[in-house]
Amino acid sequence: MRGTPSGLRAWLLQRLTAVYMIAFVIFLLAHFATDASKSYELWRSWMMHPEASIATFLFFTALLLHAWVGIRDVVLDYLQPMIVRLPVLAMAGFSLLAMEAWVARILLLSP
Amino acid sequence: MKFFIYRFNPEKDSTPCMQHYDIALQPEDRMLLDALVRIKAADDSLAFRRSCREGVCGSDAMNINGRNGLACVTRIAGLKEPVDLRPLPSFPVVRDLIVDMTRFFKQYHSIKPYLINDEPPPEKERLQSPEERSKLDGLYECILCACCTSQCPSSWWNPDKFVGPAGLLQAYRFIIDSRDQATRERLEDLNDPYRLFRCRSIMNCTEVCPRGLSPSRAIEKIRLLMVKESI
Repeated sequence: MRGTPSGLRAWLLQRLTAVYMIAFVIFLLAHFATDASKSYELWRSWMMHPEASIATFLFFTALLLHAWVGIRDVVLDYLQPMIVRLPVLAMAGFSLLAMEAWVARILLLSP
Repeated sequence: MKFFIYRFNPEKDSTPCMQHYDIALQPEDRMLLDALVRIKAADDSLAFRRSCREGVCGSDAMNINGRNGLACVTRIAGLKEPVDLRPLPSFPVVRDLIVDMTRFFKQYHSIKPYLINDEPPPEKERLQSPEERSKLDGLYECILCACCTSQCPSSWWNPDKFVGPAGLLQAYRFIIDSRDQATRERLEDLNDPYRLFRCRSIMNCTEVCPRGLSPSRAIEKIRLLMVKESI
């Protein structure tokens, strides 16, 4: 299928997104350990800075891409009949896209 | 010593069954194959493959107490009784412990297990430095016993599309052979969602290889080479 990453691309994507996610989580934990915001407004203003919101948006993008590769792997391994495989992959793909749009709305588009 | 052996004769049985055996072993019986030969002397209907009796032909690969191995190099001492003997998992059973290896060999042939070099052959041989030759160590020793591929869950779920650990180990053996010129084609052939990339690094293959080889390492090296070629 055209839109689906080839073997190597999917594998590489899975690893690169994992590296970014680990780095992000470590950074986030370090930030909260050292410089935790004292109130909701302070946290929100920190989060709405472009660096924080874009980095977080990239984290969720990485998470959803990683999840897509993982779900696709499970489906390719265990669901052989095309009548089951295509709808499951399509539903998974659409759900992940919807979540991506939702995250974009929250992080990038809200005032 | 007690044995619990898988029996199936397609000419007589409709379903397989497990049969108990209790055999007196002699002090000189050290390997599982010795015990199997004694069992066959008592019950001639038991069928199993065996040839070299020293771990180099791969004929007597079977599932021993849940783990694949070669009967001729598996020591009797240390085997939990009753010793559970089954044919290699997921391979079609021909009879008792004998399996059909056709699919396994088909995957092996699909990776083109021969040197591809279009240059005219030299007088004596294609030369290779000791360093280049040492890259083949840990790859050429494969005896194609199928212990690895038969223990690989990815091979169980997609036996016709996933090449399997043995095939991929041999693919790597030719990819890093300095005399082979079809490296790019070999790497491209393996770059689809199934041929190599069903491998999840479960590493059952490396765990059970009776020759101590590491298909997982070979597969990882192929992946890294693919990345290098593509970037």
